[in-house]
Order: sequence, then structure tokens, then C-alpha cells
Amino acid sequence: MDLLTGLLTTAFLAGAVLALAALGEVLTERVGVVNLGVEGLMAMGAVTGIATVTVVPSPMLGFLAALVVGALFGMVFALATVYVRANQVLCGLALTLMGSGLASTIGRNYSGMPSPVIFEPVKVPVLSEIPVLGPAFFSQNILFYLIYLILPIFFSYLMFSTRHGLNMRAVGENPAAADAAGIPVNLMRFSYVTIGAALAAGAGAYLTLAFVPSWSDGVVAGRGWIAVALVIFAGYRPIMATLSGLLFGLITALGFVGQARGWPIAPAFLSMLPYLGTVAFIIVPVLAWQKMRRAMAAPAALAVPYYRDMR
Amino acid sequence: MFGSYRLQRLPSSHAGIALAARVAAIVIALLVAGIGIALAGMNPLNLGARVITASFGSAFGMEDLGVLIIPLILTGLAVAVAQQVGAWNIGAEGQFYAGAFAATAIGLFVPGEGPLILMLMFVAGMAGGAAWILVPTLARAYANVNELITTLLLNFVATLLVYYVSTGPWRDRSGMANSATPPLSTDVPSFWGIVHWGFPIAIGLAVLVAAVLAFSRWGYEVRLVGSNPSAAKYAGIPVRKHLIAVMLLSGGIAGIAGMLEIAGTVHRLQGGISNNFGYLGIMVAVLARGSPIGVIFSGALMALILNSGIILQTQGLTTSIVLAITGFILFLTAIGDELSYYRITREKA
Repeated sequence: MDLLTGLLTTAFLAGAVLALAALGEVLTERVGVVNLGVEGLMAMGAVTGIATVTVVPSPMLGFLAALVVGALFGMVFALATVYVRANQVLCGLALTLMGSGLASTIGRNYSGMPSPVIFEPVKVPVLSEIPVLGPAFFSQNILFYLIYLILPIFFSYLMFSTRHGLNMRAVGENPAAADAAGIPVNLMRFSYVTIGAALAAGAGAYLTLAFVPSWSDGVVAGRGWIAVALVIFAGYRPIMATLSGLLFGLITALGFVGQARGWPIAPAFLSMLPYLGTVAFIIVPVLAWQKMRRAMAAPAALAVPYYRDMR
Repeated sequence: MFGSYRLQRLPSSHAGIALAARVAAIVIALLVAGIGIALAGMNPLNLGARVITASFGSAFGMEDLGVLIIPLILTGLAVAVAQQVGAWNIGAEGQFYAGAFAATAIGLFVPGEGPLILMLMFVAGMAGGAAWILVPTLARAYANVNELITTLLLNFVATLLVYYVSTGPWRDRSGMANSATPPLSTDVPSFWGIVHWGFPIAIGLAVLVAAVLAFSRWGYEVRLVGSNPSAAKYAGIPVRKHLIAVMLLSGGIAGIAGMLEIAGTVHRLQGGISNNFGYLGIMVAVLARGSPIGVIFSGALMALILNSGIILQTQGLTTSIVLAITGFILFLTAIGDELSYYRITREKA
């Protein structure tokens, strides 16, 4: 494989993890809830995925199990933040600590073990023969197409072209007005927080069942936090979130290729690239594109709990 | 005759209820952990007894606790100080590593021993921690970029940096261990077993910070910025200047924690010197409700919890279970904090 093909293939593979988690967080934040537990949810999803496939050798089942576990954790988080209206930052950090700690504890039995089954690449006939793009885009596993094509297009359409999407955004921008218009604010928030958490855990399972593919302690390695940051960078848009996931996949891939090819840079510094890149990518746009600020702004009611009787 | 009761949310929280909620959160979390341990086929009461005898039954156990309290008070203080000005410093872990890194550089490469080198290491540790939070601070102050994510992401960079130098250019080439630097020539002296002077320094710093915040004009202005930035600005207080100063102070305190850890406890720099101290510091600050004095007590409590995890490691449990239990306590505390705003009031029918 030549350099470009290798780079692109790894970029798409690594980017899918971030793209799926970031998409979930876009849904969560659009309804006005910030979930800082993505890192922990991904860890739980990652360990659930590997634990499931060691019992039943089906990667799809592992992925679905991760979605269910993520949704359960998401419901607990949503109960606390949406209905009890506890501080979202604290609950999110708590979720990260709980998820990471619990996943490491459970994962001890699977440590260092490669996943017995993984999502196998599916070659699209004809298209996979195209040089460079073929292997990178048309010889990937089935989840890959879900993450890069189906989900972002579906949620983008839902969010910006349907009445439900308008309601959804209204809940994130002005919950009191949405409430007055008869939109069930808390139910809307609860539902999308749950879906977002499920997708985050799904991203974790993708890590252990398709990308790495094995469990080790700390396998998530801050990808959850990068995903949370990408949401800001992507201006809270599903397709932009997917694309920025891909961009960071490319940065990660650059580090991998550098290590594999023995570039004269220490691997530790190459591993720093995604984190430093993320910091740069959330600071620079704010300074550079002052005019874009309004269009890319966070939902007005982000992280603000809604009290109906205090309107 | 009885009237009707209703739940009312008041604008201020009730400190007593918030405190009670913390106690309840810890009790519930320990109960759940106990049930989990029982389900895993072990006897939680036996393990609990073992933890208590190992922690308090001997001078060694008490010394272990004393050494753990130092970084936990300091990282907790770092998070609490930032909270005072309305900022979330989730990067104490990275600033801890940066402080340890900078102090090690002095310890390894500046010739000489004694108090002067120790002072230099202390200053370097503080500067390293402050440098690590500099970019997030400026980004928050001048571009309003959320400091929560930027401080956190730099944790990974600092961890990688320390891992790199301690296995690469600075590694001990004489011994068998090649994942750590050589031992430092200058140590923070101990005064009780392995407990070193970092202990009184940590408590002293917490008291000092509390006093400055409570009694000085600067402290008053900082607290005003933290509770109502627009009112502070209207009153002519330099909001941005205070924000920058306090966030750098926060990073500096976490850096001191890293310096004391390598110079007092571990005596050399290696990957993984922090037992998640930075993340547990968030918990310490939240349990103390952001009070610098409270941090001393919640730091001690957290040290006990962390030490239990370390003791239980020999019983086939991992320290990561401590992280999970800590997260659970934090979760219940957040809920309790919200509930402490409510009162049950009675209306006459």
C-alpha cells in the first residue's frame, strides 16, 4: 500500500470513532444539555463490545450491546440532569469517572486480548478498484458506511428539514418558548441525551471491534473529550461533526504513519498531535472567523436547566 | 386543617442539607461498592476491616495516608481556587505532571544540593503548572473559549511528555529500571516516617489562600467576579485581570503538588506518578463546595478512599474501582446539591 492510501484508510478508520461520538454529542447539545461523560460512555461501550463478542462471536451484537449499555447510562444521566436538574458539568464529569473506572475494572479480564471477531471489511464491487479512494472508502466495514453516510445525512435532514427538528432546536435555544408552544421540553431532552449517550458508547465499541481492535486499559485515551471539542468546532451540525471527525482521523493517521515509517520524531510527540490539534482548532476559529460566530454559536440554553415554574 | 404542602425552589442553597447530601452520597456509594464486592464473591465486611486495620492500625498505614493527603489537598485547592473566579480547571492532572517535569529538570541538571536547589525546584514546579494552564487561560480571557475542554486535553499532552522524558532522554542509564529518571539528589525532608514537609506546606497554602480570599480586597473582588461577572465589571473590577491571575495561581498550585510528589514522595520522575490526583482533585473541591479550608478535610477523606483502593489492590481489586466509586459519589453529590435548594413549605388552606 502506498503512503496516501495507507494514510486515507487509517484516517477514515480512526475518524469514524470521533465522528460517531461527536454526532451523538451534537444531538445532546442541540436540545440544550452538555454531556461531559462521553469519555466514560466510550470506555463502557468499548468494554461491553469486547465482553459481548467473547461470549457470542458476532460483532454486530457487540455493537448493539454497547448501544444498549450507553442508552442505560444516558438515561441515568438524563434523569439527573433533565428531571432533577442537577449540575450538568458535575454529572458529566461523574459519568466519565464512573464509566472509565468501571470499564477498567471489568476490562481487566480482557486486557491485551485481541478481539476474537471484528467487523470485516466489505468490498464494494467495481468501486473498490478505484486507486487510492477505492481501498480507503469502498473497502471498509459495514459500520463505516453507517457512520459516514447514513447517520449524518439522516440527522441533518431530521434537524434542519422537519418540524420535529425545528422543535428540537427550539428546546435548545429557548425552552420556555418551546414549552409554551406545547413541545414536551423534558421528554425531548431526555430522548436525545439517551440517543447521544448510546452513540458515544457505540463509538467505543467501534474502537474495540473495528479500529484497534482489542481492549487495553485507557484505550479510549481522551477521544471522548476530543469528540466534545469537535462539536464546538463543527458548529453543532451533524455533517460538520462527521467531517471534523474525519479531519482528526487524518491527524491521528499522520502520527501512525510517522511511527510506522520511522520518521525522526519520537512517537510520544506524534501521539500528542490530536490533543494539541484539538486545542488549536477550538481556539483559532474563534479568533479567525469573527463573522461566523453567530452561525456557529452554541444553542442559547446550553447547560441551562429548565424550570417551568421560574419562567 | 393540615393545609397543603408544596416543594419550593429557593434562590440559595441550604448549606446543612448540602453537607448532609455529601455524607449520604458517600454512605450510599460505599454501600453500593460493598454490594458489588459481595456479588464478585468476596466478603465486603472482611475487606472493610482489612482496610481499616491497614490504614489506622499501624504507623506505616498512617504515614501512607499522610503522604496521599498532600497532593490531594493541593490539586483540590487548585480546582477550588479556579471555581472562586468562576472557572473550571479540569487540567490539574496535566499541571501536576508539568510541575513535576519542571522541578525534575532543576533537580537533575542544576548542580548542588540543599535548600537553595529545593527553593528553585519549588518555583520551577509552580511555574511549570502555571505555564501548562497559560494557553487555556488566555483563550478564556481574550476569546471566551471554554477552559474546561482545553485544560483537560492538555492533560494527555503532559502525560505523554513525562512518559517520553522518563523513558527517553532523562532515563536512568545506570540501573535496571529504564522507565524512570535517576533519583534526585535533593529531597523534601521528612518529619514523621515517610511524611515530608509537603504536608504542612499543603495545609499552610490552603489556609493562606482562604485568608487572602476572605480578608483581602483582592480576594473580595475575585469572589465577586466568580459569583457575578457582569456586576463585577459594572463595579469597575478588572474582571479579565483577576481571571488570568487566579487561573495561573490554580495551575501553579497543581504544579506545586507535582513538585512535592517527585521531590518528597517518589524521589524520581516516572510515567504514572499521579494516581489520578488531578481528577480526584475535582472531587475534593466539589466535596468542599469550593472552600479552600474545606479542601483540607475533603482531601483527607479522599486520601482515605484512595488508600483503601491501593490496599484492596492486593486483594485482587484494581485502583480503577476507586475512580468509579469517586464518580458515583460525585454524581450523587451533584444531585444532592440541586436538592438542597428546595424547601417543603406549608400553605394554609
